[in-house]
Amino acid sequence: MYNDKNAQTIVEYIQNFTRKNSLFMLAYGTGCGAIELPATLTSRYDAERLGVRGAATPRQADLLLITGYLSTKTLKRVIRVYEQMQDPKYVIGFGSCTINGGMYWDSYNTIKLLDKYIPVDVYINGCMPRPESVIAGFKELQSLIAAGKADGAAKYKENLEWYRENQKKVLKNWPLVEYNW
Amino acid sequence: MNTILFEILGAIATILLAFTVGMFYGGARRKIIARIQNRVGPPVYQNFIDVIKLYSKETSIHHGAMQHMGPVFAITASVTSLMFVPVLNGGGWFWFDNLSFSGDLIFLVYMMVFGSLGMALGAGQTGNPNSAIGVTRGLSQMVGYEIPFVMSMVALMTQFHTTSITGMMEIQAQSGTWMMFSNPFAFITAVLAMLGMFHYSPFDIVHAPAEVASGPVSEFGGKYLGLMMSSGSIFAFVKLTLFVNVFMGGASNLIELVVKTFALYMIPVLYGVTSPRYRTEQAITYFWKWPLFFGVISLLWAAF
Amino acid sequence: MNSLILILILIFGGGIISFLLNKFLPILRDAFVVLVMLAISYLFFTIDHAEQFDFEIGGISLQWGFTYAGYLFGIIVAGLGFLSILYSTAFMKGKDRLGYFYMNFLFSIGAMFGILMSRDLVSLFFFWEIMTWSSYFIVIYSGKEVNGRGLKYILFSAIGAYAMLMAIVILYGFIGSFMLEDVFNSIYALSTGYQIAIAVLLMIGFGVKTAIMPVHVWAPDAYSESPMAYTALFSGALSKMGVFGFALVLFNLVSGQNWLINEIVAWLAAITSVLATFYAVIQKDAKKLLAYSSIAQLGYIVVGLASGTYLGVMAGIFLAVLHAVFKGTLFMAVGAVERQAGTTDMTQVSGLIRKMPWTFFATLISIITLAGIPPLGGFVGKWMLYEALITSDRYYLVIMIFLSSTAAFLYSYRILFGLFLGQEEPEFAHVKEAPLVMLIPMLLLAGISVLTGSFPGLVMQPIQEAMLVLGFENRLPDMDWWQLTVLFNTWGDKVVLQNVMISIMGVFLVALTFITIKGYKKQRYVTTKDISSSGEIIQPEDNMTFQIDFYKPFERAIWPMLKRNIDTYYTEFGNGLEAFFDFVKRIYNGNGQFYAIYVMAFLALLLLAGSEYFGF
Repeated sequence: MYNDKNAQTIVEYIQNFTRKNSLFMLAYGTGCGAIELPATLTSRYDAERLGVRGAATPRQADLLLITGYLSTKTLKRVIRVYEQMQDPKYVIGFGSCTINGGMYWDSYNTIKLLDKYIPVDVYINGCMPRPESVIAGFKELQSLIAAGKADGAAKYKENLEWYRENQKKVLKNWPLVEYNW
Repeated sequence: MNTILFEILGAIATILLAFTVGMFYGGARRKIIARIQNRVGPPVYQNFIDVIKLYSKETSIHHGAMQHMGPVFAITASVTSLMFVPVLNGGGWFWFDNLSFSGDLIFLVYMMVFGSLGMALGAGQTGNPNSAIGVTRGLSQMVGYEIPFVMSMVALMTQFHTTSITGMMEIQAQSGTWMMFSNPFAFITAVLAMLGMFHYSPFDIVHAPAEVASGPVSEFGGKYLGLMMSSGSIFAFVKLTLFVNVFMGGASNLIELVVKTFALYMIPVLYGVTSPRYRTEQAITYFWKWPLFFGVISLLWAAF
Repeated sequence: MNSLILILILIFGGGIISFLLNKFLPILRDAFVVLVMLAISYLFFTIDHAEQFDFEIGGISLQWGFTYAGYLFGIIVAGLGFLSILYSTAFMKGKDRLGYFYMNFLFSIGAMFGILMSRDLVSLFFFWEIMTWSSYFIVIYSGKEVNGRGLKYILFSAIGAYAMLMAIVILYGFIGSFMLEDVFNSIYALSTGYQIAIAVLLMIGFGVKTAIMPVHVWAPDAYSESPMAYTALFSGALSKMGVFGFALVLFNLVSGQNWLINEIVAWLAAITSVLATFYAVIQKDAKKLLAYSSIAQLGYIVVGLASGTYLGVMAGIFLAVLHAVFKGTLFMAVGAVERQAGTTDMTQVSGLIRKMPWTFFATLISIITLAGIPPLGGFVGKWMLYEALITSDRYYLVIMIFLSSTAAFLYSYRILFGLFLGQEEPEFAHVKEAPLVMLIPMLLLAGISVLTGSFPGLVMQPIQEAMLVLGFENRLPDMDWWQLTVLFNTWGDKVVLQNVMISIMGVFLVALTFITIKGYKKQRYVTTKDISSSGEIIQPEDNMTFQIDFYKPFERAIWPMLKRNIDTYYTEFGNGLEAFFDFVKRIYNGNGQFYAIYVMAFLALLLLAGSEYFGF
């Protein structure tokens, strides 16, 4: 265990512990999934006991929650918001629409797989996912963070060109702001 | 040399005390709000986790020198105010007579606005319109609550012929009555002003997340937000300790201090948790009605 | 030669020569005025201030010579005069009628010296009029659409001057001498009614220049219309002549009498400062804002003087000196913005901080001083003022002053945000930093603001000397100016400025180092277009500036207080007069027949009523 290269140092352990237990969430209410969030956050399911709380702006947020389908118009904003967030940052894809387009799978103006445009750490399946599954998604993300494996942001930085290519395929004639941190 | 070292050590200990107490109070507030809303709520130490996370988060952008210095101004004001408020009876804590002998209430009132003005400058440079709106709300509200606050302070000063906090604590120790009993109207006025000072709902117009996207701090993340959270908790401790010193006879040990400040802290928390948010002009004029009336009464009480 | 005469000859001669130089040798003009002012300042600072000059005109003996009080205000005039002349050489570059401008500039400086050195009422009045007229000529310098405003200034100055003249005539009629000493000594022989009348008349005269309510209405327009180089002096030094006059009246004519004059003046000044502050908050133009703020600040000064306690007077004069320093800087900085960016309208200009960092720095320092935030000089003055009022049981006055200075934070922030912070707009991308000649005076004055915060003795010791003249005892400890760092009130409470400074600077530096070092390499600058805006990408031409209706909620809250302003009353009074004269004109319609009817009617009236009332 001591010689394990993958073992975390004590500082990393503390960092991951705090990051996991303090998720400032930017709930980007794109689709119909946003309606599940009030239930998740208020008395019945109470996500705040896990340290999840709302953040008002991307500068303060750790966690971007994409709640539902993304039309290409919304995708522009989502990319911008994601790029404005500060490292370390995580994305949760919420509902079937972010996985395969869901009921919009043959729509001409929604994207099918969110992971092609921004790196998703955890998907929550369902249409709609109930608050229980949302909480389960948070738990899953927390265990990933604790293990140091929620590295979507690093993936995005490494494969920036690939992501940009995909983004440009659907967002034609749209000036994407340079991303360099 | 030795004494300077001890002074600095004592100052650091005081800052740590204020930070810890303030942080736990913030956590307790979140817990209390959660319990009132029939939730479990985050653990009491949640704010520590938040702050450590914020410090460990990367901050890769800034909007210029003033934004960079904004949180620094805020923490300067909090810590300096802390240095000039006697923590326990007879000055400081932890081998440290703090600087309370070298400042008085008027100085403190001014020192306490230093931070919000510096923060306002930082928020201004980000260029975010929400920040500026939040700042204008905050400053307008300050005009509201400072007036009753100063009225109650002036009432006490003229009643007891001293403007220093240590002087007021001595008077209370000698006479054996707390000032909240020797001038009850001043206490009522000050408590009403305190509701505004804490910026909790219904006076949370500055940070209103749903309206102005957390206002002044909307462009501050990572280390900046962490520094401001630390500054905020120190500042909460300063305000509470000041009120306890002036109105409730100070404290002779830490446990007494915690009990008294916590009791006082519950007033804005419990008032806020059941109240929705005011509009800005309502939040200003709120302080110009009953608080002002009680302020005038307290001045008359002091005069006759 | 007597150096008092030398100063006056130099300055008035210099004014005329600069006018002529502008006609024939415009290249030398700037250098000449600066040299003249330098020579005058040098002369003034090396003067033996016990020097006197007696002479006689038309059988009236007159006397010139500085008292220490005059000398103190003279320091303001000389220092600020030199710096603002230096500033105006760059500020006024390329404008026409510069000879006219510099002549009036030097004339008003000379007139101020004259006022301060005159020891008799005749020369006081004479120089007062020169000051009024030369400043009036500069107010109307820009020439366009300002005649109404210039007229307002000269009208109120004339009212003040007539009031003063009346007081002087009454005094001469009773006392038979114009000398101030004689007046001060024998004023108490007059009946109470005359004493009050004289004091009130003189205070109207001085109050016009101090812009005390209700004779303040000229100030916002006059301050904002004249070139900023002059306004720095206008608001900084020229208004202090009114304060000087107030000091003379309050401490020599009405002191020791229980007439409530002090209280009334203090309340008027406090109300002035509150209302002026509220008006400053809702202004859109930075110049107007500063003009209203000047009125408010002069209100504090007069409150301090009128409180009559040692600490209050000390605070009043301290604030007067500091007001010259910081308001001079602020007007200069706003002038620099006007020159570089073309406008001072805060709804248009924004985000100049990266273009004009030094101007911003000077403005920031002065604003902190203005707002009275520790650890700069303004705090010292504010502290003394509050303590003076509290210890002399004027608590409602304290609340007024506090309301005014808390609301002052609003406009303080407004001017910093409006001009320097906020969105950086592409139409101001070309703006450059002001030239060095304009920066040097601003930064020097800002330096004084910083220095007085820790070492108030620098200013307080000269003030102490001046207060000895005004009849107060010496309460400052006998030490050098850099040792005087503890402020006391009469109850023995204190502020140790050194500790304040050490604490603030220590924490500030530690926190700044921490926040800068942490993650220094990864941090980069982004423009103000890169803000969180719900995911929208802001294009350079998108308007994200928040400047219009800046304090709308506050305005709504204080609206009941602002509904009627005194300007409207004057306008209504004027309209009423006009209507009355319209009516009079209709009676005197120039038709002889009508006049005959009037005569007949009058005779008939006499016949009918005369027997009843007059008995014939």
